[in-house]
Amino acid sequence: MPIYEQTYRTYEGQLRRHFRWWTIVKQELRVLISQRAFLVLMVAALMHFIFRILQIVAYDIIRMDPNNPINAMIQNVAMLVVNEGMFYDFLRIQSSMVFLACIFAGAGMICDDTRNNLMEVYFSKPMSWRDYVLGKTMTLVAIGLTVTAVPALILVLLHNILAPGWKTLGQTYWYPGAILAFSLIIVLPCATGVLASSALLKSQRFAAIAVFMILFGDLAMGGILSEALHKQNYLIVAFPAALDHLGSVLFKQRHPVLSMHWKWPALYVAIVCGSCLWIVCRRVKRAEVAA
Amino acid sequence: MIDLEDVEVTYGTLKALNGITCKIEGGAVGLLGPNGAGKSTLLKVLLGFVRASAGRARLFGLDLPRRALEVRQRLGYMPERDMVSPKVSAVSFLTYCGCLYGMSRVDAMERAHEVLNYVGMGENRYRKMETYSTGMCQRVKFAQALIHDPKLLLLDEPTNGLDPAGRTEMLELIRELALKRKVTILLSSHLLPDVEHACERVIMINQGRVVRDGPIRDLTVLRDGLFEVRVRDNKEAFVDALLAAGCICMDQQSGNLLVTKPESFELRSFFEIARARDTQVRHVRPVRHSLEEVFMAAIGRK
Repeated sequence: MPIYEQTYRTYEGQLRRHFRWWTIVKQELRVLISQRAFLVLMVAALMHFIFRILQIVAYDIIRMDPNNPINAMIQNVAMLVVNEGMFYDFLRIQSSMVFLACIFAGAGMICDDTRNNLMEVYFSKPMSWRDYVLGKTMTLVAIGLTVTAVPALILVLLHNILAPGWKTLGQTYWYPGAILAFSLIIVLPCATGVLASSALLKSQRFAAIAVFMILFGDLAMGGILSEALHKQNYLIVAFPAALDHLGSVLFKQRHPVLSMHWKWPALYVAIVCGSCLWIVCRRVKRAEVAA
Repeated sequence: MIDLEDVEVTYGTLKALNGITCKIEGGAVGLLGPNGAGKSTLLKVLLGFVRASAGRARLFGLDLPRRALEVRQRLGYMPERDMVSPKVSAVSFLTYCGCLYGMSRVDAMERAHEVLNYVGMGENRYRKMETYSTGMCQRVKFAQALIHDPKLLLLDEPTNGLDPAGRTEMLELIRELALKRKVTILLSSHLLPDVEHACERVIMINQGRVVRDGPIRDLTVLRDGLFEVRVRDNKEAFVDALLAAGCICMDQQSGNLLVTKPESFELRSFFEIARARDTQVRHVRPVRHSLEEVFMAAIGRK
């Protein structure tokens, strides 16, 4: 193109019809990674992971030496033993970080696009509302899994590397499945809940506050119900308790409070995820038509 | 390229489009209409956002809204409302738009630079979009519609928020796209001079119907016996002579004379009278109906 001619070339490349949602995921992650606050949050979220690495390294090295005087001691301290309970605790603690990361990344995802009139531009491209919803949801799921499943799976791998053998493999072969399942149980409601709030409200701040308020209200409601009706199973109304219960079932742990069948918390989680997703789809579909 | 046949769109009891029929094969076409005439609804139908309750809409031979995604891949759309992606630069935003059209990231970035250059964004393209002025946002909006080199452009009020120089520049770009690059353009605007400047054809809609459709030159026909005349000097004497010859004269603010001549009065008489009054005719032109007059008549307003 001569420098004096202000024009652009004819595009002769092929326009592919690949998954548009994947383009959205990549762009959202790119924008998030360029923000220092998000990186700080992710580093903070992974501090616990580093602590657990040290725990596994120490535990496996000490355990391999039967003459080590600390060996007997750590076998008796439940907190230090590397077993399914440790992975359950790891994911349970990480769930609060998932919540914060989803709030940070997702509270403005839809409302900012609406407020800045970007929906109209996006939907004028060959992209459907399904691509849009899937792209936004998968971004939050990816962030959530980065804080939960990915480090937990690395910990399992590390444990198997440091204590190789059939015994360790026999004990841990089912961990990855349980980790993935529990991670998704934690991440999906967070992701869909935050997106629903973002789709319903007009600003990122309001969406974040609304999610916090609903969560605290729900926790309080669970506590009040279980106390007032003298039945601890009513604590299931508190959503984090329902998640914990499902996690305890997956990791073969005994929940300290709830004793009900796992299908009830599973149904509760499914209803929450389904409703939130329904809200998001409805709002985005409407935005496409109103664009 | 655009083929609409008796398209009707109903919102509840309100008929937003009431049997729109038109064909657009190429060139720059202006879409004119008062507020609530159905311009935006028509654009939504063309983008496949709104389903026609009756009639048939086809773009590039593809049925809408059934094949809306294929249609959207081939057209570019510049919305009316201000848009901004605050956390990213124009380059990054356009690259993303290119990827959404199905380009590879490398291609999309290359194209982003080309079209941003084309719309005159210069070095501002690297700044975050939250710092952009309205005019810059307007240019970015135009650029995102061009990134995949579409054969059809739907432009909704493209000169909104632009200063006079920017406005002229934008209209020139639109004109150039239609003339040199053979892009079909549908320009929806309230600003008649914009349409007059950039388009060859105009479609006027009112209350969901097409009220006038045709080339601007044909719509703005000559007014019978009305001429715009300017003379070098001796204007009063020249006017007196014209009045004596049976003409009606009116002074315009520009200093020109608006002369209505009788049927028997020939055009060369202007020059003869001028010579007789010791002056010269510097400008003489038959007066056309303005697009505004045509538009007002079409929508039934004075």
